[in-house]
Parts: sequence; structure tokens; C-alpha cells
Amino acid sequence: MSQRTQENEEPRVGVFVCHCGGNISDVVDVEKVAKTISKDPRVKYATHFMFMCSDPGQNMVAEKIKELKLNRVIVAACSPKLHELTFRKVVAKSGLNPYFYEHVNIREQDSWVHSHEPEKATEKAIRLIEGAIERLTRQNPLKPGKKKTVPHALVIGGGVAGLTAALELARRDIPVTLVEKSPFLGGRVTQIDNIYPTGEDGKDLVDDLIQKVLKNDLITVRTNTEVVDASGSIGDYQVTLKITPRGVEEDVEGLDKAIEICPISVDNEFDYGTTKRKAIYKPYPKAVPNLPAIDWNTCTRCGECLKATNNKGINLNPEFKEDTIRVGAVVMATGFKPYEPLPGEYGYGEDPNVITLPQLIRIMENMDPNSKEFIYNGRKIKKIAFIHCVGSRQIEGVHTPKEGKELNTYCSRVCCSTTLWAANRLKKRFPDIHMFDLYRDIRTYQFYEDIYEEASRNNVVFVKFPDEEIPQVKIVKDDKGLFRIETTDILLRGKTVAVPADLVVLAVGIEPNPIRDLIEIFSIPYGSGGFLLEGHPKLRPVESSMEGIFLAGTAQAPMSIQETIIAATAAAGKAATILTKPEIELSPFVASVNLDKCEGTGRCVQECEYNAIELKEANGGKKAVIDPSLCAGCGACVPVCPNRAITLEGYDIDQILAQVEGMLKGVKAE
Amino acid sequence: MSETVLDKEPKILVIATHACSYPGIDNAGQGHLEYPASVFVIRVPDPVLFPVDFYLKVFEMGYDGILIASCGTDSPYKKSYEKLSKRIDEVYKAMKEKGIDISRLKLTAICTVCAEHYVKEVREMYEKLKAMKAQAS
Amino acid sequence: MEKFDAVIVGGGIAGMQAALDLGDQGYKVLLLEKQASIGGTMIQLSKVFPTLDCASCITTPKMSAVSSHENITLWTLAEPKKIEPNGDRFKVTVFQKARYVNEKDCTGCGECEQACPVIIYDDGYDESLGPTKAVGVPFATAMPQKAVLHDDYCIFCGKCARACPTDAIDFTQRDKEIEVDAGTVILATGFLQTPTIKEEYGGGRFKNVITGKQMDRILAPTSPFGGVYRPGDGKIPDSIAFVQCAGSRDKSIGVPYCSAVCCMYAIKQATLLSAALPLADITIYYMDIRTFGKGHEEFYEQAKAMGVNFVRGKVAKIKEKEDGNLIVRVETFGEDGRIEEFEHDLVVLSLGLVPQWYPKGIVNVDIDETTKFIKLIKPMTDPTLTSMPGIFVAGTAGGPKDIVESIISGSAAAMKAAEWLNGKLRDAFFAKELDVKQVTN
Ligand SMILES: Cc1cc2nc3c(=O)[nH]c(=O)nc-3n(C[C@H](O)[C@H](O)[C@H](O)COP(=O)(O)OP(=O)(O)OC[C@H]3O[C@@H](n4cnc5c(N)ncnc54)[C@H](O)[C@@H]3O)c2cc1C
Ligand code: SF4
Ligand code: SF4
Repeated sequence: MSQRTQENEEPRVGVFVCHCGGNISDVVDVEKVAKTISKDPRVKYATHFMFMCSDPGQNMVAEKIKELKLNRVIVAACSPKLHELTFRKVVAKSGLNPYFYEHVNIREQDSWVHSHEPEKATEKAIRLIEGAIERLTRQNPLKPGKKKTVPHALVIGGGVAGLTAALELARRDIPVTLVEKSPFLGGRVTQIDNIYPTGEDGKDLVDDLIQKVLKNDLITVRTNTEVVDASGSIGDYQVTLKITPRGVEEDVEGLDKAIEICPISVDNEFDYGTTKRKAIYKPYPKAVPNLPAIDWNTCTRCGECLKATNNKGINLNPEFKEDTIRVGAVVMATGFKPYEPLPGEYGYGEDPNVITLPQLIRIMENMDPNSKEFIYNGRKIKKIAFIHCVGSRQIEGVHTPKEGKELNTYCSRVCCSTTLWAANRLKKRFPDIHMFDLYRDIRTYQFYEDIYEEASRNNVVFVKFPDEEIPQVKIVKDDKGLFRIETTDILLRGKTVAVPADLVVLAVGIEPNPIRDLIEIFSIPYGSGGFLLEGHPKLRPVESSMEGIFLAGTAQAPMSIQETIIAATAAAGKAATILTKPEIELSPFVASVNLDKCEGTGRCVQECEYNAIELKEANGGKKAVIDPSLCAGCGACVPVCPNRAITLEGYDIDQILAQVEGMLKGVKAE
Repeated sequence: MSETVLDKEPKILVIATHACSYPGIDNAGQGHLEYPASVFVIRVPDPVLFPVDFYLKVFEMGYDGILIASCGTDSPYKKSYEKLSKRIDEVYKAMKEKGIDISRLKLTAICTVCAEHYVKEVREMYEKLKAMKAQAS
Repeated sequence: MEKFDAVIVGGGIAGMQAALDLGDQGYKVLLLEKQASIGGTMIQLSKVFPTLDCASCITTPKMSAVSSHENITLWTLAEPKKIEPNGDRFKVTVFQKARYVNEKDCTGCGECEQACPVIIYDDGYDESLGPTKAVGVPFATAMPQKAVLHDDYCIFCGKCARACPTDAIDFTQRDKEIEVDAGTVILATGFLQTPTIKEEYGGGRFKNVITGKQMDRILAPTSPFGGVYRPGDGKIPDSIAFVQCAGSRDKSIGVPYCSAVCCMYAIKQATLLSAALPLADITIYYMDIRTFGKGHEEFYEQAKAMGVNFVRGKVAKIKEKEDGNLIVRVETFGEDGRIEEFEHDLVVLSLGLVPQWYPKGIVNVDIDETTKFIKLIKPMTDPTLTSMPGIFVAGTAGGPKDIVESIISGSAAAMKAAEWLNGKLRDAFFAKELDVKQVTN
């Protein structure tokens, strides 16, 4: 059947109402719906069935299209988010235009929300279907355009997620540009010298990945580089990169000396502020790239460093450059940052011996390896108290959100295992140390349970405090310790206990790195906590609902290293599915111009934020021409045209009005 | 033709968006929250699509209320919320000129997990319209 | 020997996802499923946490996509008997059980099932809660929608053969072995619940002590009971208890690890129960609530707000009363730890996950000594690699995972398999690496 003829044909609608195994039919009288709707003369077939989405359900649709020459199909079932695509495919396979299909939501937006009003829910279903009939019988056959893909991927973020995604893509023969905002590759894992559950040094793990990435000809790595703008869409993005010069341009003699004599000293973010670094710096000896970098925010350009290198290798007044690249897909691997406690939260900021878990890990690595004692801030640490869930699992009325932010209601997933892993390491190093672990639930899931077991064997004293009660950290100065933490212990049937400590370690949670700019540039939806949102947790778990954007790692949710790497591999796989094909099918839901009506006023051109519209000479005058691969399908241009020459395909205003009226009128059962 | 159970109810048209409010409204369903059955949802990429006269036509048709469940400033489309708010101001102006009570139209933002917020909005509008209807008759 | 790019073992959600990803990228896939239908555990479930979508609604489209995919060949009732390296490829010997039903002719009408006089309760789709017959379509959404005859229950009376409108029953079919050639293999053989062997909990004998999976069946739209009733006597329960870590975190039963999904599924079931039975008391006895995934903590908070009762304590023993009710003895911890007893009329054991399949004698991949799951040889940097180059693992076959994680790992394994097939991953394993180039800036 050619789609041309379908257009002119008299509409023959088939309506299929799903029971959803009772989810719908327990409330909506599906039989009545089918019966009533069949009174509409355009409806040639109406029925109801247990599971429309099952194979027999799908087959039934296909068979009835054939048997009764149906040319429009409606399935009334669950949300279109779940099965619109399923049935479009069935309709397409049967030779119809896939957009001669309407999906009516009578579960999430009917049976489930009107379960105490079955009669009304039934009538609503009828009205919704009638509206769909009105719209569908006016629908044009939509034809999606095709677009050539640029076989090149952009990976944003040079941590384990980004490195993995880049490597996997390159192994599928896809060229990759990896951009890292900071001057060095590796991300957070380089800050962990001993990772659970294998005990390897994070730097070695990352270095192995980095070496593989650097050896791969298909990967271009750009550090000190940020995405500042992008246009285009899936298959073809033009991305503008801002490149911050490194300052150090050559590996010359005296660079170590230069670092030494630089007069500027600032908090070292690599050690979470527990040490200082210079304005010219390298976070650790084997950092990649191995050249130091200059931090332009703090460098005063005093020129001292140049003295150490004999005026060679360092350029204090370099040019900040921009560059544009074209890519077909983007992998977001921008990672996380640890929660920074509020001033005074559990005494943080009030006493230097209240630290965060990431700080503890840095302190442990920087400790004199031969020291038999744990000395911190001049004090011998004999007792340590860990407090879990700091900045995670926050509850309204109990915790305070940061200014302008919402509470972090989620569990950060990795802090329990990280805490107990650190406790076990401390015990090994300093067998006499006493450790108290103040927790709400210990979440050493899967095989990480081993870590918990070992901590118990190590005599870590576990104190379970109630969700609604925050342990009170009091600074005291006696021989028992520097702090006394008062808390309720559920394990002691709700008794109040006082835990002594010389060092309080806050097991802070994970927050996504602040990437508002990228979220705006690529229009990526995000959800609770600011984590990037997946298209659907089970159907599209590593894809954004913004096509062509893929999610890898902790930018999406708290994850362990292993989980991050699995997610990055999966995201790369999904990107490869697009990039290994020469073209992609575009969305058919784009704006189009009726050239007969267009008078070339150019109002739409101004209105379009995506530069998709241009005025061009056509039909003997200036006319608006729309590039469907740039059109985002928002429809902003539609209402501004004084001649109503623009239609957003699939969302024609008159068709929608017909639908809206159909819902109002319904079909009446006599 | 006989009168049906929804005929007398105040009818609300909800304009929902693919990215935010439609999933949010679905979310209310997944949570089995209840709201009046005379609420009808249409789904569009962005309500910025609709010209002023669209709204007037919907009222003329016989709808009692329109709730625009936009993405608010989280809209995936650039600047669309700004444009939408401006448009709705124009709609209010036009409504006033025609003597249509402006509380029959509301612009709100519903996120993908704003199920409860959504239910509150439709319930509120429903009660208001019901009272209005009762007064009129 | 028929040739495939990839053989995937196991048609649960992980295996299906891997098959679809490879198929979508143009690779020829053979999917082997031991059961008569694909779908794995997920197709048995009611709704799935944390979004409470209906499990069937997510699974059935994937099942139908697998079966209609031009690049995927599906063999059900089939499992590998031997997987051996064969040059840089693999020779897979497949054992396929006889269906005794001609797949081409069967329309899935169910007449055979009607006719069959043998009623059985097996641990198939309905987890022994509902009756099935010796012949019939496995369940309503089964894929393929074809009948299967179980020769271990069949009494060969021939009634089904006479009832079948298309003459599809074929008693002459025999089990067979087929050799195929494959470029790579993905193991997605999934999990089983920990067996209910714990004597303290009745060793599986108490009628009103059920498993997590049974509870999911009871709550499913396709529930064998058509609602929430207890199996012992059909009574509507008004006090239901969940026992967490009932088959995990316990060295005595060989499962020292945490199964990672049972907290969430118990909370899910409790949430669904409190909607189905608003007046019932629902108690969850737990040691730690482990709701660590995306959206999980919020789901837990919601359950608390709905009135689900969370009690910290370890269930030491369950006793059965004459009326079928159960006495649950709970130990609370600490110095003043007390032992308390509570009566419930239905108890759900939140059992853990153990591997479903032991590769020993079939394929030479290492398994983890303590956990018995397939061993990940590069758990941090390449968590889908087994000890045999070219063989990958997906889903719960490599350790406890929820559905989202199983799906993601299915996609990840597919990616690695594709890299293996184009030779790049093999190079990375065996070839000399090139020189390191300069980083731009
Ligand atoms: C009671 C319960 C409730 C749950 N609820 C949820 C929930 O709400 N949300 C959630 O995210 N997760 C839930 N889970 C977890 C979820 O079930 C698993 O994450 C998921 O099913 C794992 O999928 P899989 O493909 O790895 O394994 P499986 O589903 O076990 O699939 C494995 C497949 O392989 C086949 N197979 C095995 N051996 C062979 C062989 N030798 N040859 C061929 N085929 C073979 C099996 O027959 C099976 O079809 C729940 C688990 C339980 C026990
Ligand atoms: S992982 Fe543990 S410490 Fe971290 S938020 Fe979750 S429960 Fe709290
Ligand atoms: S997930 Fe919960 S119930 Fe399951 S083993 Fe872990 S702690 Fe126990």
C-alpha cells in the first residue's frame, strides 16, 4: 500500500483497548468502551484484550489491519512512554504510515487515578479515544528525514568513566575527542591510593587506562579544555571548545624548582584542602600530562618561576584559544564532587580535627609511611569516630539544605564501603587505634559485605543512630579525647551514649559536579540532586532523553568504580550503535513551512533559538526554509507567523483543536 | 441521548509536555493518587506552540478551565518558558476583553516527579470551577 | 555447522538486552534459553522498583523484539552442553530438549492444556502456587507463544493430540544435540533464590511461609490466586511479616554476601500490599535497610510514610501454630538485647540470589570460590570479562544485581563482544602496544 493513497482514503479506524491484566479493566469497563466507541462511523473495528503489548496482542493489530483494511489504529493502554513505539512498529510493519497511530493513556492517567470512580473512568476512556479519533483522522502521513552522521564522538570528562567510554568507542573504530576541564587526566580515582575492594592504587588503575587511551590513534585527548557552546543535534553537533593554555609549554629543566619558588600558595584541591599547592603545580608526580600547569586564577604573573627555568618553557601571557569540532554523539562523563559539609555541621570548620572521609584518605596517603603513630594536627589520634550519611539521605525537618538547594534525599551508595575500608586499613596500620562507627544502616551491598565483616572483626564499635536524630558533636578537651559525640544507640535499645574521639571523620556523600553550563548548552534533563536524568530507567538507562547524549558514571547517579565502568561501556555501546551507521533517521516532529502562505516576514527566523530557519529565495520571493536536522521541534515559530504558514508536524493546531473538541463531546451510549 | 456521568462536571484541559509534566502526571498514576475524572490531558513538546486564539477557542468550545503544565524554567527548549509566560500574559489580556474569568487559565510548572503538586493543582482548579459553575446556575 | 557472531546463553533481561544490542548493530546472534520461554525472572514479577512500572510491560516488548529481530535466532529449551575454543572462535554444542509440539503448527490456542488430565504444581512461572498441566503454553505472555509438553509429568494418554486443532503434538520428537560455531559467547545465565533450607525458618515446610518470588507472583496482575490470599488456607492475611537477609549474609548457608535486591523488593512488596490490603499490618524485620540505588532511598521513605513497620532485629526462629499462623522470634542486638515473639499470619522470606548455573564441565571459565558466581577477572577495569578471552558475563550470572544494573551490564557485555568480534579487544589482549602520543595541550 503506498502511503500516498492512504492520505486520500476514507479513514478506517481500529480501536484496541487493553486490560493490562486488570490494571485497567478492574476500573474501566473495557467492554463498554469498545462497544461505545464502535458507534463512531469511522471506527471499523473495536475490541478489548488482556495484554495488548504481548505478541498475541500485537499480532491481532497486524491481522485486523490486513483483514479489515484498517488505515488508522488506536491502542488505549498504558502510558505512551512505554508502548507508543511498540505499536508504531506494528503499524509500520503492516504497511501503514507509523504515524497513523495514536496511543491513548487509560492506565496512568485514567484507571490508576480514578479507581474509585469506575463509571467516570470508563467515560473518560471513551472521550479520550474519541479525541484521538478526531486527531488521527486528520493526521498527515509523516515522513522522517534522514541525516548523515558525523562518525566522531565527544566524551566530556577525563575520569574513569570518560577514559573508558573513549577507549571502548575507539575500539569500535570510532574517532573520539576526549575533553577534560582540568589540566590533568584521571579524575577522582587518582585521589584514592587504595580502592575497595581490590586494594589497588587508584592512580595505577587510572594510569593503565590513560596509557591505553594515549596509545590509541583514534582518540584525541584535550586537557584544560571546556565545552562553551554547541549547536546541531544528534548525528551532527558543532561544538565550540575553549582551551585554557597550560602555561608550561615544554618540558625544560628547572620546572620542579619553579614550583618550589613560586610565591603563591593556595589550598590544594587534590588533597581536599589538607595541604597547600603553588600557582604552578602538578597534583602528583606521575600525573598525566606530566607537565605542570599554571592556575591562572591565582597566578599573579610575577615571573619568579621563569627564573628557575632560565626563561624557558613557561609562557605567562599565552593566548586563550577556541576551536570547533563536529561530532555525532556526546558522552557525558563529568563525574561527582564530595559533599562539602555546612559550616558547623557536626563541628566541621569549627575544629580542624573534624574532617571529611575524602580528606582522611588524602591524609593517609600523605602520612609518613614509617610513622608508628597517627599524628594529626599535632595530636596523637587514638580514637576515631566516623559519622555516616553526611550530606546524604537527608530528611526534611531534620537536616538543613544548602542555600538555594534542595535536600540530598538519596543514598550516596559508596560511602559505607569506603568508610569501613578506610577503618580496616587504619586498623592494620595502627593496631591500637579505637574506632567508632556511627551509622544509620550499613550498606555494604553485594560482595562488599566482606568489608563490613572485617570491620566487625577489627572491633570497630558500631553505633546505630536513629534517622531523625543527628548525633551531637561536642568539643571537649580531656584525656579521653578531643570530642564527645552524644547520640542515641538503637543497638543498645535506644540508650544515649557518648562516643569519645580525637578525630571525627564525616562520611560525606556524592554530588554531581556542577555542570549547569553543559546542561544548558546541550539541553539535558536532570533530576533529583542535579544528577543527569536517563530517558527511562529500564528502557534507556544510559541515554538522556535528549537524543544523541549518553550518560556515563557518577554524573548520572552515585556509583562505585566498577559500576561506573560498566555504565561507561554500555553508554559507549549505545553511542556506537548510532555512529557505526552512515545515517540516522530524524524525528518527523519538526516545523515545516507552507510556502504558499509564507510571505517572508522573517518573524520565525528571529524566534528560532536553534538557527534552524533561514530566508531564502524561492517561488519568486523570500521564503522561510527550515533545516529539519537543526529544528528542535519546540514549535516556538508556529504562533509568531502572522500568516499561520508554519506547522509543527504531528502537532497541527487545527488537529489538536479537533482532538480537544472530541474529548469534550465524546461518543454517547444511547 | 442520555446524560452521562461527566457531562455536569467542570472540564479541565491540561496541556502537558513530553519532557516534564507528562511523565509527572504519569507519576501521579503510578502512585495511585486520585483526582477528578473530568481532567483531559494533551501532550505536546512545548505549550509555546499555541497562539493566543487557541486558548480562546478552547474556552468557546465549552471547557471550564485550562491548566498549562509546562516544564517551567527546566524546559528542554531554549528560552521557551520566557516566551510562553509572555504569551500567557497576552491570553489573559484577551480573556479580560472577552469577559472570561482569568482564573480559568493557569500556567504552572510540573516536573517529572511532581505528582503531588500536579494533583494539588488540578484539584484546586476543579474546586474553583465547580464553585463557579454552581454560582452561575 | 551453523555460524553465528555471538552465542548468548540465557534469555533473561540481561541476555535479551545483550542480544538486542548486538542484533541492532548488525551482528548475527543465537540466543539459547533453557526454559520454554524467554523472559527470565523479570517476566514473573509483579511491578518493579523503584518506579513501580509493571514488570510485564517492560519485559514483553523486549521479548517480542527479540523474537522478531532479523538478526536474532532464538532457541528455547536449549542450553550449552559444551563450549570450547576453536581457533580464535568457539564451538558450542547445544542440547535441546524435545518440545513434543511442532512449533510451526502450534497457534498457542491452549486446547491441549484444556484437554490434559494431569495437574501439576511445579516451580515454574507460578512458583508452585498455581496449577499447570503436563502440556500447554507456559504462561499468558510467554515467548514464543507455543505449547510445550513436559515428558516427566506426561502420562501419554494422547488427549492433547486429539484436542489440538492443528495436529501440532508430536510424540516422536527427541532431545537433540546441535553444534554451532560462534565468534564470541556471553553468559547471562542469571540467578536462583537461595533455597529454603534453613531449619530455623521451617526448612520450606510451613505453608504460610513463602518466598520473595512467591509474593511477587501473588501480587502480579497475573496472580495465580487472583488476589492476596495466604497459600495455607486462602485466608486474607491481615498481619504480614518480611524476614530480611533470610538467605544472605549468612555463612552457615554458604551465602556470606548481601544479595543487594531483597531489601528493595521487600519494600516494593510491602508498598503493593499496603495498597491491596489497606488494613493489614506489614512488618519488615531487618538488620540494615540497603536502599542504595537511584531513587531507592526515596522509595524507602515513601514506604515508611505509608505505614510499613520497620523493625530492626534478626529473626532467630519461626514456629508454625496449628491455625497456620506463625510465631516469629526476633533477637534485638546489643547488651540489653531482648528476644521477643510476634504472631503473623503470613511470613515472606526475603531470600537472596545464588547463581543458577555452574559452568563446570561445560566451559572452562573460573568461578568465584566463595560466592560461586562467574568470576570477574578484571572486576574494576573490565567487569564483564571472564577468565576465558572472548567469553563475557552479563547480569546476575556475575553477582547480585537489580534489573537496571542487569540491563546496563547486558549492554556493556554486548559492547565488549562487538569489540572482540572486530578484533580490537583481542589486539588489546595479545598485541604489542604502540607508542604513546602527545596530549594536545
Ligand atoms: C522476588 C524478587 C523480586 C525482584 N524484584 C525486582 C524489582 O522490583 N526490581 C528490580 O530491579 N529487580 C528485582 N529483582 C531482581 C531481578 O529479578 C534481577 O535483577 C533480574 O531478573 C536479573 O536478570 P538476569 O537476566 O540476570 O537473570 P534471570 O532473570 O535469572 O535470567 C536468566 C535466564 O537464563 C536462563 N538460563 C539459565 N541457565 C541457562 C543455561 N544453562 N542455558 C540456557 N539458559 C539458561 C534462565 O532460564 C533465565 O531465563 C527481584 C528479584 C527477586 C528474587
Ligand atoms: S552509602 Fe552508607 S553512608 Fe553513604 S549515604 Fe548510603 S547509607 Fe549513608
Ligand atoms: S539487600 Fe537487604 S535483605 Fe538482601 S541481603 Fe542485603 S541487607 Fe539483606
